[in-house]
Amino acid sequence: MTAALAMRRVDLSLESKRLLWTAAIVVGTSLPHWPTLAAWMPVLLLTAIGWRFGIELYRWPTPPRPVRLALAVGAFCAVLLQYRTLNGVEAGSALLVVMVALKFLESRDQRDQLVLIMIAYFLMFASLLSERGPLVAAYVVLLVWLTTVALIQIGRRGEFLSYRTTGALSGRLLLHALPLMAVLFMLFPRLPGPLWAIPGSTSSGASGLNDTMSPGDITNLGLSDEVAFRVEFDGQPPRANDLYWRGPSLTHFNGRTWSMLQGGRRGERVADTIEYRGESTSYRVMLEPDGRNWLFALDMPARWTGDNSLRMGSDYQLGTFFGGPRPRRLDYRVTSYVDYSAREPLTEREREMFSALPAESSPRARALASTWVTDEPSGAEIIERAMAYLRSQPFQYTLTPPALGAQPVDEFLFDTREGFCEHYASALTVLLRAAGLPARIVMGYQGGELNGIGGYYIVRQSDAHAWTEVWLVDEGWVRVDAVAAVAPERVALGFDGVAAGDAAAAALRIAWGRQAAFVWDAIETRWQGWIIGYGPELQRALLESLGFDNLRRAQRSAVLLGLAVTTTVALLLGLSLYLSWRRRRRTAIDAAALCFASFVRQLQRHEVQARAPSEGPCAYAERAAGALPHAAARIRGVVELYLRARYEPDADGAALAALAAEIAAFRVARA
Amino acid sequence: MQLGVARSLERWAATWARRRQGADAHAIALKRRRIYILPTRFGVVFSTMVFAMLLGSLNYAASLGFALTFLLAGLCFVVMHHCHNNLLGATIKFVGAAPVFAGERAEFKVAVGNDAAAARFEIELKYREHTAGPVDVADGATEVLRIGLPTEHRGWVALDRFRVETRYPARLFRAWTWVHMDTRCLVYPRPADPGRPLPDGAGGGVGGRPHPGDDDFAGLRSAAPGDPPQRIAWKAYARNDLLLLKEFASGTGEPCLLAWDLLPELGVEQRLSQLVRWCLDADAAGRGIALRLPGQDIPPGLGPKHLAVCLEALALFDAGMDARARAPQARAGMPAVGQRREQSPRALAEPPR
Repeated sequence: MTAALAMRRVDLSLESKRLLWTAAIVVGTSLPHWPTLAAWMPVLLLTAIGWRFGIELYRWPTPPRPVRLALAVGAFCAVLLQYRTLNGVEAGSALLVVMVALKFLESRDQRDQLVLIMIAYFLMFASLLSERGPLVAAYVVLLVWLTTVALIQIGRRGEFLSYRTTGALSGRLLLHALPLMAVLFMLFPRLPGPLWAIPGSTSSGASGLNDTMSPGDITNLGLSDEVAFRVEFDGQPPRANDLYWRGPSLTHFNGRTWSMLQGGRRGERVADTIEYRGESTSYRVMLEPDGRNWLFALDMPARWTGDNSLRMGSDYQLGTFFGGPRPRRLDYRVTSYVDYSAREPLTEREREMFSALPAESSPRARALASTWVTDEPSGAEIIERAMAYLRSQPFQYTLTPPALGAQPVDEFLFDTREGFCEHYASALTVLLRAAGLPARIVMGYQGGELNGIGGYYIVRQSDAHAWTEVWLVDEGWVRVDAVAAVAPERVALGFDGVAAGDAAAAALRIAWGRQAAFVWDAIETRWQGWIIGYGPELQRALLESLGFDNLRRAQRSAVLLGLAVTTTVALLLGLSLYLSWRRRRRTAIDAAALCFASFVRQLQRHEVQARAPSEGPCAYAERAAGALPHAAARIRGVVELYLRARYEPDADGAALAALAAEIAAFRVARA
Repeated sequence: MQLGVARSLERWAATWARRRQGADAHAIALKRRRIYILPTRFGVVFSTMVFAMLLGSLNYAASLGFALTFLLAGLCFVVMHHCHNNLLGATIKFVGAAPVFAGERAEFKVAVGNDAAAARFEIELKYREHTAGPVDVADGATEVLRIGLPTEHRGWVALDRFRVETRYPARLFRAWTWVHMDTRCLVYPRPADPGRPLPDGAGGGVGGRPHPGDDDFAGLRSAAPGDPPQRIAWKAYARNDLLLLKEFASGTGEPCLLAWDLLPELGVEQRLSQLVRWCLDADAAGRGIALRLPGQDIPPGLGPKHLAVCLEALALFDAGMDARARAPQARAGMPAVGQRREQSPRALAEPPR
């Protein structure tokens, strides 16, 4: 807007310029909020701005005070009605935008505009509470710079300074503030929990796994490219077919739908009966928000750090157990063992629960399973027979299976024989239960894609998987993946290996596009990991790398604060010195004058009258040369150097040094 | 109430500054130890907002919120330095204040000089509730700020203590320095209303005749090298580009004797006012003036300089202690005054002590 007006060479009054800048800043800073605002709010803002310009340029009437008051109360109530609260980022920002609109309408002088500029900073801050991408951050950096320009211009009592001056000054102010920001950012103690309750965001999408599973209802599995989580392994990652990311388990089956246990065994795991074997694998998981409170870890997690509320449930699932959905990304570290045995004793009740099947469901499957148990085989043998059956029949792995009717498991096993992981997991679990083995379905993800640029794995929603876990008397819970029997490449190569024919996936595979996507994903992940995810955990890691081990939280905060204070003070001192040094350095051309003055004093000792104020250096040189003819050439040389150091536009320290050296070497032989 | 506290705090701080800084010479360069800085009210509100941001960041564990918070905190700090640097090294010089008649505004001129290579912005001069500026001073430049004070009484008026301050950039901070310079402006008595004719029959008893050739304007002739520059008719030069010399001959009119005793019916101030009026009238009529005050005699003379001597004598006439109490030299902290008076030829105008 400013640029367009400038091009038309409109001479704006100072007041209009101030208004224009304020308006631009206010609109610019409220822009990131627009998607979450009710439609009338931006309209109100733009109308208020338009009206204010009407007042300024065309002498429109200012709305009288009662009208403005009524507007303010009305807008306040409207926001309250819209969001039902004033707490929280969205309602707060909405209120802020509405307030800004009304304040702008009634802004009269510099002071009002300064207040608006200040609120603009706060709007930026509010947009950073909900939007965390690097692009938004870059936009905010630009806004901070522009807003600071506006602050300097509008804060002035007189005409605007040149934009070149203020733009450079604003940039310099922010650049000099940067080290301070960095130190405080790293060392200011972060809290593990909120100070006051944060209402959940209404717009956070739940794109993750469902907590129920109904094979046969879905006939076209959507290929969501959305990232579920990213994993960074400390050392060598496990083999691809060990990458089972364990999530919630489904126990209850009503003949069509699997669901989690209602009550009963949900809760924290107490007895540690898992035996871990072989090599451990440590990794960091950066989990995207999915509106759930469960976490994913490589089967089988042994140790974990991160959120304080991180627990392992009785079904070996990691989760945060403070209830309610997780509004933001979660960053946690886990150590897992891919080789383990979960020898967990089951009570009789539990055995029944894990083997329960609804009475009328899947008669054909039951009949099939009953043929396997005639010779009283071991659990392992039953599993082997079930897998052999799946392998021997013409089962097909497909993402577009036909819909299934009243007995989905039977229809799948004996008629259609087409399906994806859910179908297979469900069928196998039913078969095993029918054969008398306690079994359940585990949901999670399988595989992951290596981002070679970032050096981490990306696990997408399309990697979602379901498998069966069966309980054997001697071995405890054992993972059995039916898909491994039918489509081993799904497990070995990951999801893309199977869906190669899919058009959407093929489009993704265009090499450069994929590469670019990897680069961006790597940037975003580093951003998330190091900037957004910087919190108590990384602070502890930082302190440990500085040699402060094993501190309790209060001690850690104290140490951090101490470090923050000392470094800040040191920085402030350094900055003060630097700024005054800069000021002195800028008067370096006067250093040349000082040098020359000492030269003049030196010549004075040789009976050359001091330079009069009106006497230029050249005239002085000629006079001195006349007085000291045997040194004339050197005097002229010094003056020439002086002129260069003092007046040449590109003169630098070297010119000054040359002058100083020449003067130091200057001697007049006694005549 | 609040304002009262603020004002007495400020007064206390100013007195403290005066004690530690001492009196200033006519020209000073602002050094670090005499520049004070505090946040403005806007600065306080701004930092409150930054603190609110900090709380919000803590609550939402928002890393980017922390980043913006700390960036703005850093910004405030850097702005503080820029504000301080904006004054540091500036030179303050009292240029002067032309004498005025009581009732007119005494205008004090203070020059702010900038020797540094960078411009200084928005420098203001403050004396009590009076403000001059703000003014931007380019690198190497000097800007003159003028503060006008209303005057009521004859005698000296002075800026006993004024502030040079700046809020640049961003108005978050106010850096200032207190300056205690010998800044004085002479206030002549208010001229009485015209009407009373000039006294006649002058000359009797007045010592000396006006010096011929020195007092009365006679005409112009072209200037030659060696002529005194005071006599050059600069206005004529500006008009025609010719250097002309003003020639003076002996006075055309009789000099007036303006004596204190001529106005016995008036009070002290009215008498002085009337004498001022007469001085002005006589000067306008081109007549010489001789002034006779109790204890003080000014021989007849002519011309603006002589008029100024007469007016100064009237301005500083001391008929008792009340006039002395009004003069600023009676106040504390004006040490340079006495010295100057000794050297000045106008010392004659001072009442005997």
